[in-house]
Amino acid sequence: MSTLLETEGLGLSFGGLKAVSDFSLRIPEGGLHGLIGPNGAGKTTVFNLLTGVYKPGSGTIRLGGKLLNGLKPHQIARAGVMRTFQNIRLFGELSVLDNVKVARGQHARAGFIHSMLRLPRFHQEEREMEEECLNLLRVFDLEKRAHEPARNLPYGDQRRLEIARALAAKPRLLLLDEPAAGMNPSEKQDLSDLIRRIRLEFHLTVLLIEHDMKLVMGVCEHITVLDHGCVIAGGDPRAVQDDPRVIEAYLGAPIEEGQGAAP
Amino acid sequence: MTKLLQTLLDSIAVGSLYALIALGYTMVYGILQFINFAHSDVFMLGAWFSFVLARAMGLGGAGSGSIVQSLVILLGAMLLCGVLGFLIERLAYRPLRKAPKLNVLITAIGVSLLLENTGQLPQLLGKQPARMPSVIPDLVLVEAAGVQIRLVDVLVIVIALGLMLFLQWLVFGSRLGGAMRAVSQNQAVAALMGIPVDRIISFTFVTGSMLAAAAGFLYAAKYPGLNQPAHSTWVLLGLKCFVAAVVGGIGSIHGAMAGGLLIGFVEMFGAAYLTPHLRDVYVFTLLIAVLLFRPSGLLGLARVEKV
Repeated sequence: MSTLLETEGLGLSFGGLKAVSDFSLRIPEGGLHGLIGPNGAGKTTVFNLLTGVYKPGSGTIRLGGKLLNGLKPHQIARAGVMRTFQNIRLFGELSVLDNVKVARGQHARAGFIHSMLRLPRFHQEEREMEEECLNLLRVFDLEKRAHEPARNLPYGDQRRLEIARALAAKPRLLLLDEPAAGMNPSEKQDLSDLIRRIRLEFHLTVLLIEHDMKLVMGVCEHITVLDHGCVIAGGDPRAVQDDPRVIEAYLGAPIEEGQGAAP
Repeated sequence: MTKLLQTLLDSIAVGSLYALIALGYTMVYGILQFINFAHSDVFMLGAWFSFVLARAMGLGGAGSGSIVQSLVILLGAMLLCGVLGFLIERLAYRPLRKAPKLNVLITAIGVSLLLENTGQLPQLLGKQPARMPSVIPDLVLVEAAGVQIRLVDVLVIVIALGLMLFLQWLVFGSRLGGAMRAVSQNQAVAALMGIPVDRIISFTFVTGSMLAAAAGFLYAAKYPGLNQPAHSTWVLLGLKCFVAAVVGGIGSIHGAMAGGLLIGFVEMFGAAYLTPHLRDVYVFTLLIAVLLFRPSGLLGLARVEKV
């Protein structure tokens, strides 16, 4: 299977603090990868590097072989990397449908001239686009509230709308930043099913940050563990779960005889 | 009755001019959260560009220009001001995109002074008032029961209304408008959704400046005596339109339209029925009242600051 996302030696420092160092990752086309690690390990920083919010201090990012370094966020988005946010960031005053349409519209063919002149091709594409967006909302069970402002949706719906908005842009790579945060167990179960389903339906490659281990272990095929900005382990869920370095990162090092406790 | 109808007509004409200018303030505020004080100067230059273009076309003698000539002047002034708006944003405001809002605000005042005083250079517009050649024939279309419906007023209302309808479609019905509204909500997220934020901001400035230019053209056609660029009437006019945007709810497109009309009504009715000397007082009294009782404006959303 060909590689979709490949990062090599990615690094970023804020002043003297190394937020991420030597981060290398390879995700095959169609893969479902998890990125885990304790709070402050640098997971969201990795997402910000991948989407162009931060410029990498070192290393390279390639999507399907194309170098993404130095591109602006909107160019990276158009190249096919879309994301959701740890704390929901919808366009609250826009309607649910408009949230999706705005993301979809940036990837439409007819440009400004067509829309100004309102040529037939524009009208046709506009209708198709609206239909497509409504269908997408249907997948997420949000079509009934399509015309309400997004801020009026309940929390769980807002989370799903964020995913729908990202999908509207027809991404190749979907980055999900803690999609299960704040969800109850049954919502989490639904979310797992949803992630599996959209991945197949939309031919996606997914990189997932999540604290909920049950969800990560259940959904991901491959997991990378980050601590203090460095990759400390990687592999299939079972191997990662049993890796002593991972246990140490999450729970602290066991006190071994002769070593004594940390001061 | 006659007076009432006449005042009503005047109010709508003046109010739609105010609305056109107020839209520029409100659009820029909506997308960048600062008051573009140079906007009144774009309006002023819209009027002066119309004058320059009219002169260049040989107008100014007896009679007035043809419809084609007037249209060319209107579009030419809009084009020039559109370019000007683009340059102002690109050169003065964009470098300050990440600076505190106060810095941008002060820069805006600087740009305003620069435009006014550069405009008065003898090589450019000069510091003398000028008389706008007649671009719209001074016709009275209907005269009934003492009420005069003049062509220029009708055109002011029709053109302003047409532009506002177009803007309504642009912002709320077009894909570009969707991107504009998204950028006004959250620039960073808009960029991550694939929206070219810089281009959308440029577009917003160009659109607002073109509307101000159209208002400048219509103003010059209605009131042909043009004051020199740095004259205080322009600043006062701009200020009134800013008040219109605030009264309507700054950041709200419909608010600016409603606010412009409301200011027009208050000014014209106050001038007609109370005393014409205090016409500016009525406007600013309305502002104070709105700020006291409905600080977010008539159509503005109350923003509750979350702690």
